Amino acid sequence: MSNQSPSVAVQELVKRFGDFVAVDRISFEARPGEVIGFLGPNGAGKSTTIRMLCGLLRPTEGKAWVAGIDVAREPERVRQRIGYMSQKFSLYNDLRVIENIQFFAALYRIPASQLRERVTWVLEMAGLTGRESALTGTLPAGWKQRLALGCAVLHRPSILFLDEPTSGVDPVSRRHFWELIHQMAAEGVTVLVSTHYMDEAEYCHRLVLIFQGRIVASGSPLELKRRELSGDVVLVECDNLGLALDLLQKHPSVQDTAVFANALHLVVSEAAADMAPLRTYLSTRGVVVTKMEPIRPTLEDVFVSLTANQGRSGKE
Amino acid sequence: MRWHRLNAIARKEVIQIRRDIRSLLLIVAMPLLLMVAFGYGVSFDIKHIPVFVYDREGSQQSQDLLKHFQASEYFRVVQSVTSYSEVVEALDAGWCRVAVVIPSDFSEKLKTAEPVGVQALVDATDNNTANVSVGYSEAVIQSYNRKLQLEWLQSHGQITLQPAVSVDARTWFNEDLESTANIVPGVVAIVMAVIGSFLTSLTIAREWERGTMEQLVSTPVTPLEVMIGKLVPYFVIGLFDTALCAGIGIWWFHVPFRGQWSVFVFSSTLFLTVVLSLGYLISVVAKSQLAASQAALIATFLPAFLLSGFIYPIDQMPAVIQLITHLIPARYFMTISRDVFLKGTSIDLIFDELLALAIFAFLLTFLATRAFHKKLS
Amino acid sequence: MPVRIRAMLIKEFIQVFRDKRSRFLLFGPPVIQMLVFGYAATLEIRHVPTAIIDFDNSQASRDLISRFAASPYFDVRARLNDRRQAGDLIDRGEVIIALQINSGFAQNLYKGQLAHLQAIVDSSNSNSALIAVGYVNQIANRFSENYKTERVQRTAPLMLAQLPRVVLERRPWYNTDLDSQWFFVPGVIGNLVLVMVVTLTAFAVVREREIGTLEQIMVTPIGRWEFILGKTVPFFLIGLLDTVFISLVGTLWFGVPFRGSIGVLALGAVLFILCMLGIGLFISTISATQQQAMVSGFFFTMPAIVFSGFGTPISSMPEVFQWFTYLDPLRYFLDVLRGVYLKGIGLDVLWPQMAAMGVFGFVMLTISVVRFQKSLD
Repeated sequence: MSNQSPSVAVQELVKRFGDFVAVDRISFEARPGEVIGFLGPNGAGKSTTIRMLCGLLRPTEGKAWVAGIDVAREPERVRQRIGYMSQKFSLYNDLRVIENIQFFAALYRIPASQLRERVTWVLEMAGLTGRESALTGTLPAGWKQRLALGCAVLHRPSILFLDEPTSGVDPVSRRHFWELIHQMAAEGVTVLVSTHYMDEAEYCHRLVLIFQGRIVASGSPLELKRRELSGDVVLVECDNLGLALDLLQKHPSVQDTAVFANALHLVVSEAAADMAPLRTYLSTRGVVVTKMEPIRPTLEDVFVSLTANQGRSGKE
Repeated sequence: MRWHRLNAIARKEVIQIRRDIRSLLLIVAMPLLLMVAFGYGVSFDIKHIPVFVYDREGSQQSQDLLKHFQASEYFRVVQSVTSYSEVVEALDAGWCRVAVVIPSDFSEKLKTAEPVGVQALVDATDNNTANVSVGYSEAVIQSYNRKLQLEWLQSHGQITLQPAVSVDARTWFNEDLESTANIVPGVVAIVMAVIGSFLTSLTIAREWERGTMEQLVSTPVTPLEVMIGKLVPYFVIGLFDTALCAGIGIWWFHVPFRGQWSVFVFSSTLFLTVVLSLGYLISVVAKSQLAASQAALIATFLPAFLLSGFIYPIDQMPAVIQLITHLIPARYFMTISRDVFLKGTSIDLIFDELLALAIFAFLLTFLATRAFHKKLS
Repeated sequence: MPVRIRAMLIKEFIQVFRDKRSRFLLFGPPVIQMLVFGYAATLEIRHVPTAIIDFDNSQASRDLISRFAASPYFDVRARLNDRRQAGDLIDRGEVIIALQINSGFAQNLYKGQLAHLQAIVDSSNSNSALIAVGYVNQIANRFSENYKTERVQRTAPLMLAQLPRVVLERRPWYNTDLDSQWFFVPGVIGNLVLVMVVTLTAFAVVREREIGTLEQIMVTPIGRWEFILGKTVPFFLIGLLDTVFISLVGTLWFGVPFRGSIGVLALGAVLFILCMLGIGLFISTISATQQQAMVSGFFFTMPAIVFSGFGTPISSMPEVFQWFTYLDPLRYFLDVLRGVYLKGIGLDVLWPQMAAMGVFGFVMLTISVVRFQKSLD
């Protein structure tokens, strides 16, 4: 496949469940070797989109091509070319590790000549060498997840759909998992991954922000941060967060506020000019500011600001 | 026990039940189904037994005897055949249950006062129906005999006195000997056993299978709270179904209700507690929903159906099985339900049964909470 | 064998046979049910607890009572001289029947008038009551016949020899001793296979849907047929194995004769299991959760069993429901089972039943397969 033709192309895709619009006219493209992140809160429509692309759900409207094939028309032809991993662990807990691998290998009709090599590869990748005969249900979550990934890519698919693959997995395993994904992308695999972890989104080449079934923004993490935030981000640490939040929301030079752990993030038009007046504004009203400094915006800042804008425009 | 936690669990359960509208509808429709199935499908009033006749003589007199069979409401003469092989075929294929064969020398022998044998070939695969059919055939033959002998005695100028014992049967409690009057109060017990255990057996097993139980027990909720919270919604459904059953029985099948409602409600509540906690116990012990449903079938529905005296009389079972029936809660409620419906028994006469149910309720609740503790540790 | 089907089969068998408990689930419950059914299911009535009130106290009344005492059907538990006491015993359930002979009984008989025997029957169990009243009638009839014969013999001994008389010769076929185990055991085989195959099949698919593994399988290139075959073949084999198992229990343990050919039974079993696979698969296409599958399954199995003629004859049901039974595959399979076991009949008689099951199975499987979609909506 040439670098120019998209491995996934989506046009105006819509999915309705009764009155509820789960996915509302989504369009995007993905190229070989690209890691695309679907970012959005729970219920935004990420899983529904991925399920439509795998041919598990029929789109209500719109078109989707995966590996150049119309998914709604020929879901069966698509399936040999894709790998899929759902947010829920969906291998057989009551089968041994090796039995799960062999089962999926057979479903994908992996030729006997390649079988041993693929099985070894999956076991190594998942770090399960030597535990082939363990019952899958007894494995820790991180290992299960890697085993599931292994089973999803047994047949070397050119496109991989991962629906919140790392939910409930510890940070070390998560990092390891992402290394694997980048390895595959480097070999030319297109990866579509949905997540609601903002730190994970930074690993993606390109992000698609989904909110209430619609794409609200897309681009590389860097682009998004630059484009979608018109000002600078300032971090504020103080003693009375609640009061400070109330006060800052009323201040004219503050465009946006959000609570991050034990600090506040503000969006202002220019950090250098706005910081000093804000500090006095707060201290005269009884808030002791312990720290106030400009920071590099995170994706979470972008996301909060975008969804806040959406919410506001929705009300109007 | 904390009220708010209990309330939260019950509310969650209600939401899950309500979300699954179809199951809910089915649960409500279940008593209806069982009532119709048992009310119409199980009938001990054996009537219209299909009969084939093979009259080898074909005389006036043999036809006269056959008319007696035709006139009986217990028999339905389907066909008259002309060869023995046809009789065999009919019995083999199940086209008739009784075949009456009249010998070729029937009127001859009657004239010479030799006893004449009329054969009743009975398909005895179903021994009960066969038994009843034989009884009815005998009655037909006897009434024919009476008529014959009376005529004979009269024609010979003899006394026409017919000394005979007539049986005046007074059937108490169920005057018309209707199967439904007997079945309906029993179906109430069956429905409760099914709702109680079949459904609840899955509620906990499902949470283990889906992994939501770990989440639940990590909160400060106690086992007793989990149990009561999960069972209360099913308890309400069970009571509703019981009322529905009783209503259908009384207004549709016209089964009399002679007892006191308070006694019925009280004992139903007690029995529901027993079956719900039994279902709960099963669901705690079972590993999967499939195992739970199988165990519930064996432990509750089957005994309620077989060993409670619902259809098969307990006093006719082998002694060992009779002993086992004492361990079946449904047995006690079956007695109560029938007594309250048909006999209008007061509470002191069913005290023993109520006591037995109370002991079961206590014991099963205790066992269920203990099993839950054990499973957690 | 195609790679994918083989993989599905291996997977299913591993899951089914992995641990002791699930292995037990396949064969334990059917065997237990077979044993309980075999012993508990009997509609015979013997040793009916009876009370006697004899106000006449004559030779004739004592003679009649001794006949009841000697009969295997009645157990005389109490001889009373107060009618109220009898009522009390019935209320308490200590006796089922009370026989009362009023004074003047012997005198009436002597005068050739009707002499009354009152039977007060607790008919809250209508079946037992019906049968008991039947036996009372039989004994009373024989008594009057005897009395009459003796009278005639005393007054006109020559006359007696000339009285015409018809005698009923009873010929119970297939089950000469009217053994109820012979009747119920083949029927239980049908019931058990029905319940096992329907629930196992329905649960097998729905369980994967509920756990989420079905979704993973659906995104693989496995064909619809490959999946369906992979899911049904194991339960087809297990159903067959179960049939063999419980049939062996029936023959070896209960001593029910096997008079037909194994081939005919095998063909019937295969066709019947196909019908049940179709039903199970159909239920799985309309159920999202195992609870739904179980409740829906119950809605099929319960009426299927009741209307199959398993316990009581179809000919006693209301006519509308008799037509309904033609849609019940179990009805046909029971014909096959009882036909092969007790009647020893072959395909020449049973082909309509086989054809009916074949058609039912084909239609049901087709509907289920068409409904079975490889998608989530």
